[in-house]
Amino acid sequence: MKQDDIKSNILTTTLESAVNWGRKNSLWPMPFGTACCGIEFMAVLAARTDLARFGAEAIRFSPRQSDLLIVAGRISLKMMPVLIRIYEQMPEPKWVISMGACASTGGVFDTYSVIQGVDKFIPVDVYVPGCPPRPEGVVDGLIKLQELVDKEKFSDYSTTLKK
Amino acid sequence: MLLPEIITKIENQFSDSTLDTTKFAGEDVIHIKGSSILDILKLFKNNGFNFLADMTAIDNLTLGGFERFSVVYHLLSHETKERVTVKAYVPEDEPELPSAESLWKTADWQEREIYDLFGISFKGHPNLIRIMNPDDYKGHPLRKDYPRLGRKERDDFPVIERGINKDSSKEW
Repeated sequence: MKQDDIKSNILTTTLESAVNWGRKNSLWPMPFGTACCGIEFMAVLAARTDLARFGAEAIRFSPRQSDLLIVAGRISLKMMPVLIRIYEQMPEPKWVISMGACASTGGVFDTYSVIQGVDKFIPVDVYVPGCPPRPEGVVDGLIKLQELVDKEKFSDYSTTLKK
Repeated sequence: MLLPEIITKIENQFSDSTLDTTKFAGEDVIHIKGSSILDILKLFKNNGFNFLADMTAIDNLTLGGFERFSVVYHLLSHETKERVTVKAYVPEDEPELPSAESLWKTADWQEREIYDLFGISFKGHPNLIRIMNPDDYKGHPLRKDYPRLGRKERDDFPVIERGINKDSSKEW
């Protein structure tokens, strides 16, 4: 192989940034739609604001095959154990988008039976405000999450997971 | 038998348990003691009221009434197109009624809902368990003395921590 061939065929990078580049451009969402945000999330996937442009079109309804949990809608007392189980079934690395006012804060449902923000119990990376958010808002949230994924370091992962 | 005749018959036959008969929005409302509710519902069913349109309960804690709770049966006769409301009053210290599930199958889930949210138990119900709240839930949230924000049930879940340390120096 000639010297010029090496120049035009080999790209040097760190493993970390190569892996992060792959991860951020192939997020596989697991939609947890419990209310009208779930309907709005369908619009995010549709033609006008096509989520496939950001590599996140492979919607998996199995948590074991996905790495992005999108909580779309209010979470009731009976649904929270289900959400925790689904989050725990997702393989690392995993991220969470809390879509809409209800998932982030409980919204207008300040009652005994509605969880006042899923971030009380599961870690959330990006909050998308709105009731429900515009599809553009969700896309903006996804781009923000991609920036976050791009900056992650392997050393940040703790070797022993806390229970 | 038309509705006015049935009501007169009830007033005569069950004079001890009939507390009052009123009218609201053009419909007859019969107020009765809870102990004889099944006999009166049977009488309605045998006289053409074949449909239990709705069944619910009221907590009279702040409203005032004959007793603390009233269980409300909305009956409809498809034959004569008449409607009637039957209110059965249940005391606070012994919230129990005979089940109407043997007359109308609709009452099965309605009674489970009333049991879940008001804590009124129905004798003879085939499967009296909570229908909406979790099985291990304590209390009956539609009672007026139940706090609106609950008793910390919504804060009582395990907190899951992430496998990645986010508190390092890389804020973005």
